[in-house]
Amino acid sequence: MERMSFLFRLQHMLLMVSLFVLAGTGFALMYHENWLAAAVIRLEGGVMYRGIIHRCAAVFLMAQLVYHAFYMLFSREGKRELKEVWLTRKDFDEFLQAMRFNLGMGDEYPRFGKYGYKEKFQYWGATTGVFLISVTGFILWAENFSMRFLPKFILDLTLIIHGYQGLLIFVVLLFWHLYIVHLHPSVFPMNPAWLTGKVDVEWLKEEHPAEYEKLKGEGVI
Amino acid sequence: MRGKFLAAGIYIALGVVAQGFWTPADAKISLEKCTLCHGKPEFRKILVDGKIRDLFATEDSLKGSVHEKKTCVDCHFDVSEIPHRQRPKRVTCTHCHYKGNAEGAPESDAYLEYFGSVHGKAIAKGNTKAPLCQDCHGSHAIFKVKDPGSDVSRLSVAETCGRCHIEIYAQYKTSIHGVAVSRGIAEAPACTGCHGEHKIYAPKDPKSTVYATHVAEQCSTCHASVLIMSKFGIEAEQVATYKNSFHGVASSFGSRTVANCASCHGIHDIRPPEDPLSLVNPGNVPTTCGKCHPGANPNFALGKMHVDSHDKESGIIYYTALFFKYLTIGTMLALIAHIFLDMYGRTRRLRGE
Repeated sequence: MERMSFLFRLQHMLLMVSLFVLAGTGFALMYHENWLAAAVIRLEGGVMYRGIIHRCAAVFLMAQLVYHAFYMLFSREGKRELKEVWLTRKDFDEFLQAMRFNLGMGDEYPRFGKYGYKEKFQYWGATTGVFLISVTGFILWAENFSMRFLPKFILDLTLIIHGYQGLLIFVVLLFWHLYIVHLHPSVFPMNPAWLTGKVDVEWLKEEHPAEYEKLKGEGVI
Repeated sequence: MRGKFLAAGIYIALGVVAQGFWTPADAKISLEKCTLCHGKPEFRKILVDGKIRDLFATEDSLKGSVHEKKTCVDCHFDVSEIPHRQRPKRVTCTHCHYKGNAEGAPESDAYLEYFGSVHGKAIAKGNTKAPLCQDCHGSHAIFKVKDPGSDVSRLSVAETCGRCHIEIYAQYKTSIHGVAVSRGIAEAPACTGCHGEHKIYAPKDPKSTVYATHVAEQCSTCHASVLIMSKFGIEAEQVATYKNSFHGVASSFGSRTVANCASCHGIHDIRPPEDPLSLVNPGNVPTTCGKCHPGANPNFALGKMHVDSHDKESGIIYYTALFFKYLTIGTMLALIAHIFLDMYGRTRRLRGE
């Protein structure tokens, strides 16, 4: 059962690569006093090349973000996916419903569509995070231009925010991925969709029953 | 016959005695021989370029110095005839000053360091203006470093270096370090405090203590010490905050173009920030930063220079860092809590089915 088309798998793969490069170069600078970070900086060819690699990966990532936005807004597949992943009131209700059920205060676990609140949190969290960190990143990149308009302490502040934003994005992506596509008992050790694009029909029936029924109604399954 | 033998015996005996007892007297004579000419105050030579070489020296010249017990020819050992047919050579101190010498000179290998230094190499290349030992330590009036009268004592060494490095001396003299030294503050650095003593290298030489990537380390020998800095009301954290800044990190990974302490604060002309002549006075900050950051404007002076995000005094920067720290920790805790809750719910879900 296909869940991720080739183009989405490719975008996911490129996103992963650029985020790992950005984390590797960024955290090495943020924690430069650590021996491992120092070793990584040396591996990257010193501070100057570290910066160049970081900015190249950043430009690549932002290009992906722009491409993704256009794809989601204007392609046939993208429009369909955007409708599925769009945040609605229903997601918030489903989240509360799931929490109630998990705490033993509700009787029914929500019946998720293609993307439940877990997937949507990941998607919108990462997208907003990447957009915001790009803004602070640009301010720091063009430091001489920025300081024509911004006082020095704002740049110091931007630097702090940029670092912690990166850490927050990294931690959320790492933990959330570990949970929903690796350690969750229904997919352990890994949900293969990001490589093969396909998922088990049984898994879909169990975790995304609304999507399963919709596809069955359409006669896809 | 017998009388003749006796006379010969006495004569030989006297000769032996004379050899044993009269040597100091010989030396005395030697000194007197020298002062016969050199003891006259007007004994000088006018050189080709019009300069006057003072050749005046008496038995008092060495008085009180470390060489008090030496005589002229102990150092000027190439002088063997009077008047000198050839101009006596400059004194070679290493004749006695080496490790394991028999003359009782201090056991030191300092001269080895000198030969590798910028001064020693210049001499080796034939630069007659480069200094030998006696140019800094003095020729006759040599005293121990601890002695305030010494040319290389903490108080006088800057002036000694300034005899050749005159422009730098003028800058240094009015700088915060120069003023502090002249006021007798023991911790303040004179030239040798930063450049070293015998092993002085050109600032472009990677061996130099003031080479671009070594500057921060050299300044921090004093400026990172709370013990020294607290005496003068200077913050010792400046070193740590520099090391954590973009400049400091780049410098520690070997960048030679990035700003080190001296790039902003000046080299010999370091002054306190309140001084309007200081390179880091807020009024001069745009010019100083502008050396590397084209178009630097007064915005560069708005905010603390040496910022520590872990220090409450940094204000908004401190609180933003604190906010993000707890946001990240909070998010992680929420995620973990959600994972456990969801797992617990899942077992219920599976059991219910």
